[in-house]
This record gives sequence, C-alpha cells and structure tokens, in this order.
Amino acid sequence: MNHLHPAVEQALDTLPLNRLTRRRLLRGTGLASASLAASALIAGCTDKPTASAAGAIGNFPKTPSWKYVFVCHVTTNPFFTPTQYGAEDACKLLGVQYQWTGSVNSVVAEMVDATNTAVSAKADGIALAVVDKAAFRAPVDKALDAGIPVVSFNADGARDDPGTNRLAYIGQGLYESGYELGRRALAQVASGDVAAFIATPGQLNIQPRIDGAQQAFKDSGKPVTCTAVATNADITQGLSIIDAYVQGHQNLAGLLAVDAGSTQSVGQTVAKYKLRDKGLKVAGGFDLVPETLAAIKSGDLDYTIDQQPYLQGFLPVFALYLYKLSGGLLFPTQTNTGLLFVTKDNVDPYQGSKTRYEGSDTAPKLVDRSGPIPHA
Amino acid sequence: MSDVTVRTGARQPPGALLRRARDAFLRRREASVLVVAIGLVVYFQVATPIFLTTDNLRNIAQATAPTAIVAVGIVFLLVSGEIDISVGMVAALAPYLMHYAIDLYGVAAVPAVVLALAISALIGLANGLITTRLRVPSFVTTLGMFYLLYGILLTTSHAYPVAVPEAAKGRLQAWLGGADWATLIWCLAIVATFHIVLTRTRWGLHTISVGGNLHGATEAGIRVNRIKVGNFMLVSVLGALAGLMEAFRINSIDPNIGGGTRITFTAIAAAVIGGTALAGGSGTVAGALIGMFVLAVLQNGFNLIGVSANPFFLIQGAAILFSMIANQYLSRLRRRGGN
Amino acid sequence: MAAEALRVEGVEKRFGALTVLRDVNLRVDRGEVLGLLGDNGAGKSTLINVICGFHRPDAGRLLVDGTEVALRSVDHARSLGIDTVYQDLALINELSVYHNMFLNRERRIGPLLNNRLMRRLATEHLRDMGVDIPDVTVDAAKLSGGQRQAVAVARSVYSDARILLLDEPLAAMGAKEATIILDLVSDLKARGDMAIVIIAHNYAQALQVCDRVNVLQQGRITFDRPTADTSVTELTELMVPGYRNRRGARHDPRAEGA
Repeated sequence: MNHLHPAVEQALDTLPLNRLTRRRLLRGTGLASASLAASALIAGCTDKPTASAAGAIGNFPKTPSWKYVFVCHVTTNPFFTPTQYGAEDACKLLGVQYQWTGSVNSVVAEMVDATNTAVSAKADGIALAVVDKAAFRAPVDKALDAGIPVVSFNADGARDDPGTNRLAYIGQGLYESGYELGRRALAQVASGDVAAFIATPGQLNIQPRIDGAQQAFKDSGKPVTCTAVATNADITQGLSIIDAYVQGHQNLAGLLAVDAGSTQSVGQTVAKYKLRDKGLKVAGGFDLVPETLAAIKSGDLDYTIDQQPYLQGFLPVFALYLYKLSGGLLFPTQTNTGLLFVTKDNVDPYQGSKTRYEGSDTAPKLVDRSGPIPHA
Repeated sequence: MSDVTVRTGARQPPGALLRRARDAFLRRREASVLVVAIGLVVYFQVATPIFLTTDNLRNIAQATAPTAIVAVGIVFLLVSGEIDISVGMVAALAPYLMHYAIDLYGVAAVPAVVLALAISALIGLANGLITTRLRVPSFVTTLGMFYLLYGILLTTSHAYPVAVPEAAKGRLQAWLGGADWATLIWCLAIVATFHIVLTRTRWGLHTISVGGNLHGATEAGIRVNRIKVGNFMLVSVLGALAGLMEAFRINSIDPNIGGGTRITFTAIAAAVIGGTALAGGSGTVAGALIGMFVLAVLQNGFNLIGVSANPFFLIQGAAILFSMIANQYLSRLRRRGGN
Repeated sequence: MAAEALRVEGVEKRFGALTVLRDVNLRVDRGEVLGLLGDNGAGKSTLINVICGFHRPDAGRLLVDGTEVALRSVDHARSLGIDTVYQDLALINELSVYHNMFLNRERRIGPLLNNRLMRRLATEHLRDMGVDIPDVTVDAAKLSGGQRQAVAVARSVYSDARILLLDEPLAAMGAKEATIILDLVSDLKARGDMAIVIIAHNYAQALQVCDRVNVLQQGRITFDRPTADTSVTELTELMVPGYRNRRGARHDPRAEGA
C-alpha cells in the first residue's frame, strides 16, 4: 500500500481529503473506498492545471480557469498526439484547461453530440475539426449564440464552403498543400502516370489535398495524369492496396500520398520493389511518421510535408484565450500552421530528436539547433 | 407455493408493507437496470450540476433515441434466438438509398423514405431466409451481409458524405429527426408499442417460444421460420429508421455512421444491459431503453466532467462492467426473492 | 365391443438401408390404454412418429375410426385427433402455465392476448382433469416433472386430441411424480372416448395402468396380450433371452459345438 503509482498519488492530491479519509482510502476496501478511488481516478484523468489557476500569469490579469473543448474526428490517432501536447502546454502557460473529445472513427454524429455537450456544459471555447460540410453548421451556430467562441482546426469544411460560421481556421491550408505537393512533383516529372493515394476519399480533412494536387497537374499543362486511388484508414490494409496497385501498374512515373498512413506505405513499397531503379521519378507525401522519415533519408521518398500538428493544438488555445480576455476584441485569425517540405537535406534533426513537439516523447525539453538555416 | 404470506385482518407493520413493495418492484426484470440508471443520474448530477438542465437532457435524449430504436429490434431478434450484426450498415445505407431515390431518380421525398425502409426490410428478409432456409448461423449470415452492405455503400457513394436532399428538407426533416425532441418522441412511441407487442400479443409470445424452446415451439405448431424472418425484417426496418433520423438530425448523410460496428454493438449492449438474454427466450423492450439510457448517460456525463478521449474508454469500460455486475447482483436478489 | 380408434396394418419404414419397422400390426380401442414396450432401438419412437404423421410409412396403412387415412403432416394428424406428448414436452419454460396451455391456440381481443380468459379456462380445465396446479400464472420452469407432463397432456386433451400417444411419460420420474401421470391416464381412460398408447420401460408401471401390452421386437409386434394375462416376469423373460441368445452365441464356446 505504500508503493503508489505516481499517477494515483497525483490524483489523490487533487482531492480535498483530510488525513483520516486519505488513510482509509489507501487501506480500505469496500464500496466507499472503491467509489472514492473511482472519483480520484476520474479526477486524475481530467486535465487539471498545476499552475495556480487563480493567480495572474505573466502580464495577464487573473482569469478564471477557462475550459476549452477540442472536438476531433480521430481522437486516438497518433497524428494528434503532438496536438494534444501543444494544447496541454498552452493551457499550462495560461492557467486554463482543455478536454480532448470527439469520435474515434470519424463518426460525425458523435462529433456533433460532443459539440452539443460542450455547449450545454458552457465551455469557454471550442476547437472543432470540421470534417463535414453540413453537419456542424447548427451546432456551431448554437455555440456562438451562447457566447462561446469557436475555431476550427485541422479541417475546415470544403474548399469552397467552410460549412460553419467559426471565427477562424487554424491548420494547414489543405487545398494549397495539395497543390504544392503536386507542383513539387512536377519539378521531377515531365510526363507519365502519377498515382495519388488517399486513405479515406471524401473526407474533408484530406480530400482537398488530392483536389489540389490534381489541379496542379492540370494547370501545368504537362502530359501527366494524376489518378486518385483509395487505400484504407487502416495502415496495414493500405499497404497491401498500394502494393497491389504498383504491381498492377508498372512504369508509374510518380507515387504521391495525402495522408500519413498512405505516405508511409508508399515509402515502404518503393523500397520493397526498388522502384527508384525502375524509372520512378518522384515519390512524396504528408506528415512525419518515423517510417516516412526513414524513407526520406534513404531516398525512397523525395519529400514529405509537415503540417505541424503541435501548433494545431497550441495556437487554438491562445486564440480562444485572447478572445475572451479582450472581451471579444482580439479576434482569432486564419492561421496556416505551415507547409514545410522535409527532404533529405533537412530530415536529420527530425529523425534524430525525440521531442514532445513532434509527439515522439513526453518530456519537455529544449532542442538545440545551430548552424545556418537553409533557404532558397 | 407463494412466498408472500398475507395476514388477513391484522394490520401490517409498515416495514412489511415496504418490504412487499420492494419485492414487487424487484421482481420486475427491468428493476435492476433502472436502479443502476437512477444511481448514475444521481452521481452525475452531484458531480456536475448542469447534468439535469434541459439543454443537456436534450443532448442525452438525442444520443439515446436512435440507438434505442435499433435496440428494440435487437431485443426481438435476440429473444427469438438470433442476432444481427449488420444493422449498423443498414442504418448507414438507408439515408443513401433515400438520397439516390430523390436525387438520381426524381422520387418525391416521402415515397423515397418509404422506399428506403422497404429496401431495408428486404435486407432483413434476406438475412432471415439465409439463416432459416440455408441453415447458416445468424452471426455468420449477418457478418457477411455487413460486409456486403459496406461494399455497396462504399462503391455507390465513393465514401463521400452527402447533404440531405433539398426535397427532404423542411417539414419532413423536422419531423423525422431535425426538431429538438423529434427523435425522442419517435423512440418513446416505438418502445411503448413494441413493449406491448412483446408482452401482450401472439407475435411476442411466439417469439419468446421460438427462442426459449425451438423444438417445442415447432411441435406446438408455431411457424418458427416465419417468426425469425419477421424479426430479422423488424430489426432492419428499425435500423433504417434510426439511420434516417440521425441523418436528418445532423443534417448530413455520413457513411461512417455504420461506424464499423458502433451502432450495432451499442444496441446489443443496451439490450443486454437492459435484461435481454443473449441466449434467447427472454427479454424486455423497456429494459433496452433504460440500458441505452445508461450508456448515453455514461458517455454524456463523463464528457461533461471533462474526461478526455484516451482515459475515456478506460472509464467507460469500467462503468459498463460495474453496471452489469450491479445488474446481475440485483437480478439474483430478485430471483432469490421470487423463490 | 368398444369402437376401434386406431389400427395399424402392415406398416413398414426404412431409413436408407436400415429397415426399422417391418410389417407392424397394432390396434387400440376407444377407452383403452395400450402399452408399447420394446428395447432401445427397437423402433418404438419411429412407430409413434409414423402414427402421428411425422413420418410417411413405406408400406402399409393406417385406419382411424375404421377409415383409412394417409397422414400428410403432423398438423393433419392433429386435425384428426391424433396427438403426441413427447419426452421433451414442448413446454416453453419462460412462459406461464396458461400460456403454455394455449400455445398456438391463444385467445385474443383484437390484436392483444386475452390473458384473463385464458387464465380462467386453463384453471378450469386443469381442475377438471384433476391436475393439481393452483396458480396457472407461474412460469413453466417452476413446475415439477410430473406437473409439466400433466400440463402437456392437459394441453393435448384440451385441443381435442382423442388418440393420445405418450412417449416415455414415466421416464426420469420418481414414484410420487409418476403417480400424478398414472392417475391422470386413469382419469382419461375413464372418460371412455380416448385411446391412449404409452411407451414405457418400467413394466410394473405399464402393467398398472395399461389394459393391454404390445412388444415391438426387430420391427414387428411379437407379443399382444391383455395385462391381466401377463406379468412383469413374463415380459422380462421375453426381452432378455433374445439378448442372452445373441450374447451367448458370441461368447459361449459351448453354444457353438455339440
């Protein structure tokens, strides 16, 4: 009983227990102790700020411990791990809290329910991944009518229609990033067939990228065809699909992908069939999963695009905070969280460091960087 | 011999009266899950006072209603001794069927809805015939149907979400799920109707017989295949209705609502938590509604408290187990009291 | 002379290469209780199944009340008053006694069940038959073995069965439970309009209630005697030597030589 897991210890500390109750909780059995333990566990699982929420922070005045709700479409996807770290770090800085909820499998109804619950719970701000053009309009309107600021992150409806009246979008320009993906590919390919893989076609957080890529190819005027191919949200199945496609279509000029899983699988397929020796001119994709970075290092992939998920958690917190702090006068702004190409030249630090900011480590630390910054 | 002795003439001490009332209540199959539900409501109200606000109750109602409707059908099918794991896909496909009818074939809104329900009934018919005529276990039949429907859904829709057709907007949409309490009203009506069907009609009686003693029911002359097929069709139609209502509620037709198996398993869980036996032969429709309410309250309550996604599943799993154990314990009390 | 309720003539039944019944001849009169005895595997169940319409015989004919009938199905047989009470009893455990009594013949008001009427009728009928079940609303699962049998028999009688076939009604029943059934059968016999065939293994009990016994051996009725003219010993001797002969021929070297 003396060896408590630090998480439990920490959770216990958050409960207002006198010494007797605490001792009984640690020693006791039975329903009372079990329910106390359950409450402690729940309390430990909600993100409570350790900084003094009541006191003023830096130059900011004292504010209540505001609560922001992030509604995500794939809550357990590792892509969003750095996003959660970003939100957490921002909350700790400002003395506020966040909750990470939504749907596990992109079920829009679940996300709508989570948004409605946040409104009923009188959240102080909502960050929402708008993966559907029509379903979120009413919930967001309801939130705004209730005086709750709403920003979108990671996805913002369709290209021509953000689908909601959110105050701003914080994330990568999806269509633009797809366009850049295509444009960069065109630098290495003058003619032929290019296959662009997408895990879940139609989904509004990645479909615009394919649209952008295909448009880039069209705009170039070059005799290059870009075919969109659906893979799968499940990476292992996606790998089999890409593998089969490559076998069935010899002499492809380029392989592109617009999501993390497909990109990783493309890299693995290129390596498996040594496609670079067989006339493949270009291979590229999105996001920085370890396999992708390794493929870049080895040359199987030419480039990948980082959308900096950490910022997609960090910046919304600040946007929502400043809005409330200033009484609505500091309005959230459209923020592009970046479109950075990671290539063989600059992949080393990404691979080498395990940091919280890429999601590969939990410990906050200062990552050293020296030397000139590459530029065109 | 009855376990309740009545002393006529003498006045009963209040304790005995209370004990009799408690026994009568506990004897009902739904009692245990109701106790659990009330316990949870009390817990969450204490934990976050906004739990019982109209706003939040509406959220709970909207989360409960559609899956509860599916659970009603699942109860009938489970009681008759079969299972259907494709119903989530029917729920996902039905709005698309309506959309195709309206936008591709120019069918008017209400007939399109009826058509979607009719096609779903045919899916249930197929499930039933394959299970009863070809003797394929229903789990396998509906598993195959699940993938078949998934494939149809994906190839015809290209997995794109679709807007609710213009023709269906307006009053139809409001009545079928758009209005705030619409889904709850439908749910309560369906639960009430089918609870009566299960307990007070021939169909219900025969369903119980088929599930409780298939051999015996056959010998008594009951058309067991007809009962099973009918219940398969019931599940599919209710699933389609739930899918249509969800689409109208969130104002979008989402291919993911089949969610893999979210609706299906939640509906089955609700039925089982509510007191329906997985093995067949006994079940309660009202219990399934309460069971679904328990699941929705868990989901909503923990969300309100602020539990984040990753630990959420830990809590939800533990809570379901705890609810079920409490349920079993109370059921045992009930049985012991009845003997 | 009592009217002949059921006559089986020259019935033959094969399953593939196996001939289970060959040239079975049997009759039961109204007001008579016939005991059908025989070893396991002798074909008793098959014979019952032929009589109640479940199997079609390959040869031979059936006569009900003197008229030849070709039974198309169990339902057809039921419509002629032939009903079987099987060992597994066809009672639904999760339903009440009165619902079981009226299974597939439920009384209704519109689409809803008329439970009150069925309760009343069930209580009356069971009382008339002398079956002691005070509360017809209990689940069938709570009844004892004898009571369950009684309910099953009562259900058949209530549905106008007049030729009743009881498949091993006394199996797995203690003395007290068996008495319930034996008394019930006696009461039914006393009515005078029922013909009852009982398959039994316990010769003593069979002789107690049956008027006549038939023995089925190797697909034929080899023994047909009024109960008064036979005894448990004689029946046992009838069964055992056949077995002893077959056994002796295999194992006893003395049976082979000399």
